[in-house]
Amino acid sequence: MNARLAAAALLVLLAATPASPHRLDEYLQATTLSIGKGRIRAEISLTPGAALFPVVMAGIDADHDGALSVPERQSHAERVLRDLTLSVDGRPLALRVVSSSAASVEEMKVGEGAIELVAEADVPAGAPRRSLVFENHHARQVSVYLANCLVPADPAIRITSQGRSGDQSEYRVEYVVGR
Amino acid sequence: MRTSSRTAALLAAALIPSLPAGAAPAETATGRIVAAAHTFLSALDAKQREGVLFRFDDAEQRTRWSNLPVRMVPRGGLSMGSLTEAQRTAALGLLAAALSPRGFEKVQQIVEADEVLKAGENGNPMFGRDLYFLSILGTPSEKEPWMLQFGGHHLAVNVTVAGPRGILTPSLIGAQPALYTANGKAVRPLGQESDKALALLAALDESQKKQAILGYRVADLVLGPGKDGRTIEPEGLKASAMNERQRGLLLGVISEWAGIVHESAAAARMDEIKAGLAETWFAWSGETTAVPGRNTKAYYRIQGPTLVIEYAPQPLGGDPSLHIHTMYRDPTNDYGRKVTAAR
Repeated sequence: MNARLAAAALLVLLAATPASPHRLDEYLQATTLSIGKGRIRAEISLTPGAALFPVVMAGIDADHDGALSVPERQSHAERVLRDLTLSVDGRPLALRVVSSSAASVEEMKVGEGAIELVAEADVPAGAPRRSLVFENHHARQVSVYLANCLVPADPAIRITSQGRSGDQSEYRVEYVVGR
Repeated sequence: MRTSSRTAALLAAALIPSLPAGAAPAETATGRIVAAAHTFLSALDAKQREGVLFRFDDAEQRTRWSNLPVRMVPRGGLSMGSLTEAQRTAALGLLAAALSPRGFEKVQQIVEADEVLKAGENGNPMFGRDLYFLSILGTPSEKEPWMLQFGGHHLAVNVTVAGPRGILTPSLIGAQPALYTANGKAVRPLGQESDKALALLAALDESQKKQAILGYRVADLVLGPGKDGRTIEPEGLKASAMNERQRGLLLGVISEWAGIVHESAAAARMDEIKAGLAETWFAWSGETTAVPGRNTKAYYRIQGPTLVIEYAPQPLGGDPSLHIHTMYRDPTNDYGRKVTAAR
């Protein structure tokens, strides 16, 4: 799907694009991580620009009925997760889909509706100082990324540093787990 | 329609309704807001009143705001376009009572920008000053909490009134175009937000800039609509590492949002922000200069114990300096929940 998304974006860029109130040629992917002692939760908000929506929709709407059914959303969520990597202390962790929801197709058509994924991974016990790396390779050619983490709900966990690649597709978090 | 602060103050004063004969003048800001609310409500017919009033605990209406045009995200309440001229004047009187003169002026400039956008798009019915909605949650009171909402495209002003307090969080303050001409003069609704932040950045030394300037692109608001009560891990330069002058400049930037609400509420809010200033962070992403008279195209965020401000220019097929989204939050007190939860 990436090549088709890139082609769609190119068509938009080649066309004259006046200022718009809507997202057009970017696929915004915003991830917020919640770090717990034994679990990491990732909330991923996927907002395709208006020009990219037809291609994104075609990749999800398997029965071509113009709606996103629960099985279609689940299947899409699992495909997205295959493009993500999460590791703690260098050890890859398996993200599993917790939920998937989507704005109305009408909102998504104009570049303002998001697909919301929630995924989780279990974190094996380890040393107090921990190092997390999250990478998002989904639809790389047309995407812009945001990656952040919430202030941990558990006061025993303290974020000590954050780092990102220039496009935020790679996100590194160092944190300390107290008793 | 460029108005100076003095003109805006005069306009706001003129819009705040006069008292009925024999009535005692309200002595407090809250009293004036409540009086203005009653004037507005009494100008409506029964059906309109039903349409504008919501329960204070109506969570759906409370969070029914967005940066998007109302055709895409419908708002509750009454649209300005549905009001008679007298009703519209009363509605603006209520807004003027709840906001500072500069805050009221800023809101008007944002609304007028949408009218400019409409004209630039051949009268596109998605935009324009008629498509801003006003709603009231709860019963206007000097003692019990209630809420005033005014919003539409690029604007969501949420004011929770609780006794003497006026809590403006969360509010979305944006503009498109963020620079336009009215009566032969340039209008930049969010010009001070840009200029003051650039001045703060320029006042930092190289070592401070290294901390403040993030090495990555921030393409949009992180804590935009729908992200109530969230606190992300802060980044950038801490105000405790700034000198007194720099902290003053930082407070000046913050005051552009905190000062939208009426003066006594704004003063209380600034006191609260000053109390947490040492733990407040300033982060910048993007170009470090701007063309004079234009807005910065860079993203910035100010985050403290009770504060999140985000300034996020939007490319969306055009010049990002002309299309700005900003967010003003207190994650500990969105919709005044710190105050109202205790009741």
